[in-house]
Amino acid sequence: MPSTASPNSSSLADVLDRILDKGIVIDIWARVSVVGIEILTVEARVVAASVDTFLTYASEISKIEQATQTGDLDDIQDLEIETTSARKHEQKIEKTRAGVDAS
Amino acid sequence: MSEHLYTYGVVDDDEFELAIEGVDGGTPIRTVSYRSLTAIVSDIDTLEPERSDENVRRHDDVLREVIESADGRTVVPMQFGMVFKSGRTLKSVLRSGRRAFRKALLDVDGMVELGVKIVVDEGATVDDDTVADIAERLAAAAERDVENDLFSDRLCMNRSYLVAYDDQEAFSEAVQAVRDDYEDLTVQYSGPWAPYNFVDIQIGAAQ
Repeated sequence: MPSTASPNSSSLADVLDRILDKGIVIDIWARVSVVGIEILTVEARVVAASVDTFLTYASEISKIEQATQTGDLDDIQDLEIETTSARKHEQKIEKTRAGVDAS
Repeated sequence: MSEHLYTYGVVDDDEFELAIEGVDGGTPIRTVSYRSLTAIVSDIDTLEPERSDENVRRHDDVLREVIESADGRTVVPMQFGMVFKSGRTLKSVLRSGRRAFRKALLDVDGMVELGVKIVVDEGATVDDDTVADIAERLAAAAERDVENDLFSDRLCMNRSYLVAYDDQEAFSEAVQAVRDDYEDLTVQYSGPWAPYNFVDIQIGAAQ
């Protein structure tokens, strides 16, 4: 009978590393909209979502809540733009990192 | 009144309840299905759950229980914080993303993730051949593997392995053999995890 290692109970760092960074990501807009939305993109991530992304989502959520309460649609339209720019920003960071690794 | 749904992951067509506490104490853990896709959910009051240590742990604990309560139920995990406004918006996303969810479920069918990190002692070094040997031996006991960030100088290997639920014992033996052969290295072995590192889905929406 060969000896066997047992996986340790997981450290919080291991949990954070996975849960905040990996797994299915669904845009806030797709999660809160009931009418009139069309889900356009189902795509593999080019870059892994980061804590920055999470924070961006968190701030979007509060804006959505605000917009829902006040019924101010302009606020919601702003969100899409912010999401896009956040993604571009993130990809830029990722490219920079890749460049560092390659050097 | 709790009207929103915190979602933990997606499984193949199923219906069950788990009497454990989820994120923000939501209980029970239950299922919401659209056709043959089932989301694991619990009720939640906020669209923005606090990213506390406790909540993060609970997200992971729920997924572990989802796996273990059916002796290896396949689950595609969500990232932390995926709250849906209602059952209706959740079903809408399950429907729209059904191809991606279905493919992800197939990709990790019957599998769990195991993590292995190799840490060197302070001031010690390790040669590339050693790392390559370890990586090769562990990969041979797994279906797939991915490399994660080496966030410290002392971390010389950080990989996640996709292993069949029923083959975990064999993988654990491979880990033990590595430990026996390289006693001066620290082998950190974690899991089983939901296969976080082996799903790659992002769903967006437009008006």
